[in-house]
Amino acid sequence: MMQGPTGPATSVATTSPVLRIGGVGKRFGTFTVLDDCSLDVAEGEIVTLLGPSGCGKTTLLRCIAGFWDADSGSITIDGQDMARVPVNRRPVGVVFQSYALFPHLTVARNVGYALRMQGVPRAEAARRVAAALETVSLTGFEDRYPAQLSGGQQQRVAIARVLVMEPRVLLLDEPFNALDAKLRGTMQVELRQLIKSLGLTSIFVTHDQEEALTMSDRIAVMRAGRIEQAAPPDEIFDRPATAYVADFIGSSNFWPSLVADGRVSLPDGQSVATGLRGAVRVMARPHNLQIAPPAAGPWQGRVAFQRSVGPLVEYHVETEGGDAMVKVVAMRRAQDRGFADGTAVSLRIVDPALCAVYPA
Amino acid sequence: MRAFRHLSLSDALGIGLILCVAVFSLLLLVAPSIIVVMISFDTRAFVSFPPEGFTLRWYAEVFEQGELVDAMLNSLQVGLTVTLLCILLGVPTALACARGRFRGTTALSVFVLVPHMVPGIVLGVAVLFAGALVGVSPSIWLQSVAITVFILAVMVRTVQSRLVRLDPALEEAAANLRATPFQSLRTVTFPLLMPAILAGAVFTFVEGFDNLSVAIFTHGFRDRPLPVELLALVQYTSSPLVAAVSGVQIVLAIAALVAVSLSIGLDNVND
Repeated sequence: MMQGPTGPATSVATTSPVLRIGGVGKRFGTFTVLDDCSLDVAEGEIVTLLGPSGCGKTTLLRCIAGFWDADSGSITIDGQDMARVPVNRRPVGVVFQSYALFPHLTVARNVGYALRMQGVPRAEAARRVAAALETVSLTGFEDRYPAQLSGGQQQRVAIARVLVMEPRVLLLDEPFNALDAKLRGTMQVELRQLIKSLGLTSIFVTHDQEEALTMSDRIAVMRAGRIEQAAPPDEIFDRPATAYVADFIGSSNFWPSLVADGRVSLPDGQSVATGLRGAVRVMARPHNLQIAPPAAGPWQGRVAFQRSVGPLVEYHVETEGGDAMVKVVAMRRAQDRGFADGTAVSLRIVDPALCAVYPA
Repeated sequence: MRAFRHLSLSDALGIGLILCVAVFSLLLLVAPSIIVVMISFDTRAFVSFPPEGFTLRWYAEVFEQGELVDAMLNSLQVGLTVTLLCILLGVPTALACARGRFRGTTALSVFVLVPHMVPGIVLGVAVLFAGALVGVSPSIWLQSVAITVFILAVMVRTVQSRLVRLDPALEEAAANLRATPFQSLRTVTFPLLMPAILAGAVFTFVEGFDNLSVAIFTHGFRDRPLPVELLALVQYTSSPLVAAVSGVQIVLAIAALVAVSLSIGLDNVND
């Protein structure tokens, strides 16, 4: 069950998808930036493209917006192929990393830009600009220039500027990068609630896993131009499809092991069933491990390091044999205060079924 | 002054040295103009320093001499023509160099620079001979074209350096917000380039007005520009008349700078 096929959506949309990315590839010279990427995005769904820099997530976003052409595959919106549709005719709105607000135009003129380009009558345009500014709570800021706004306000102008043209798909390219860390958390929640209340189908690009976990209905983890797994945040976290995803999202422990009779034995003596054969790697999340005073059991170790992470304590335990440093997360409780650095402890896996097995 | 209280001796010496150099540089820049203006008020009929007495006679004479006024008007015409040509040719060239997606954008931006690297005299002679070959004789128009070729690089470089520093996302945003390429150029790129275009216009106008090296071979026989007229004047006379002409030019230059700073601000030109 952990070794399901990687790639396209694991949850099947009931209606036809708004955005369909089918086998998109893109090369720059001999370098493959996107390799056979497929992804369906349903009406009102927020999908995050998550991965390290250079994994192709921004390239995919730029192909959807039309700034770059894909070399192969197709991108369709509402069933219409975008290949021959120029940038300014695509029903998408882009919120840029730098926001790209026009510095020489006021907030109202920035927000009304798309309407002027389309020749929308002045009275209607004014009404729609006012509505968009109200949506992002910037009423009263009409005559300010972008340079006179805070980072958070600039982001809201950038969002209002695309909302005003009622796009079918909203594309957000690392929109929190320009904000300071403290503001990010609140802005993430606010932005998700705003997008959800408007029911906008969205693609959100980030390299920050916490941002992805906060913002998304579904996360597409990308690696070297490929989508490794696309699934809801819980599933990505609890059942990562590949060792790469397990390693990239959250914290994890890996052990090499061998399959015998369809089962893999775990370090604490328990075992878990697998369909794989031969050499494998077993993964357990730190919160699936239990740390206890030394007791009779096969899995003993010594606390090498510990740190408090809010209400949790993370222990790094040096296990017998010495080569594997195991990470354990426990709730901070009175009885755990006993595990000072250097203390001998025993370890146990709480739920073997939550361990994942990957090919070695 | 409180800020200076904790300075060490070496800091104080350093600041003193910087101040000395700054004042000296400023003097070096301004002194020639001041000396010329002082000479222009001299009562004696030959150039000498320091001046004796004060008269506006030379300024009156500048405007009484038909050739000098004509020369000024010719140079004004050349300056305006050169500026116009540089804007028409230079802005699209800069756009092509900075945003073009064809091979040879770098070659193009270097190619534009070449005439500026050649000594003006050489370029002037070359244009003169090339003109003769195709039957174009020296005229105010040939002079304007030659100086345009000479100075185009300044407009291209000024606009290009501004373009390179513009966030490319601005033009992408315009396209995403339904603007056609032309609309994007008109509503986003040009307004943001305007300070650079104006700065380039100031430089190219001054070159068109003031260039001697290219102009001396290419100007029309009957349409002598001011620098050529002044050269003739200093060659055959040594009256403060030349200084008075310079004085007029300095006043015009200051007026132009004040106008620019009042309208768009000098910082924008520099930027």
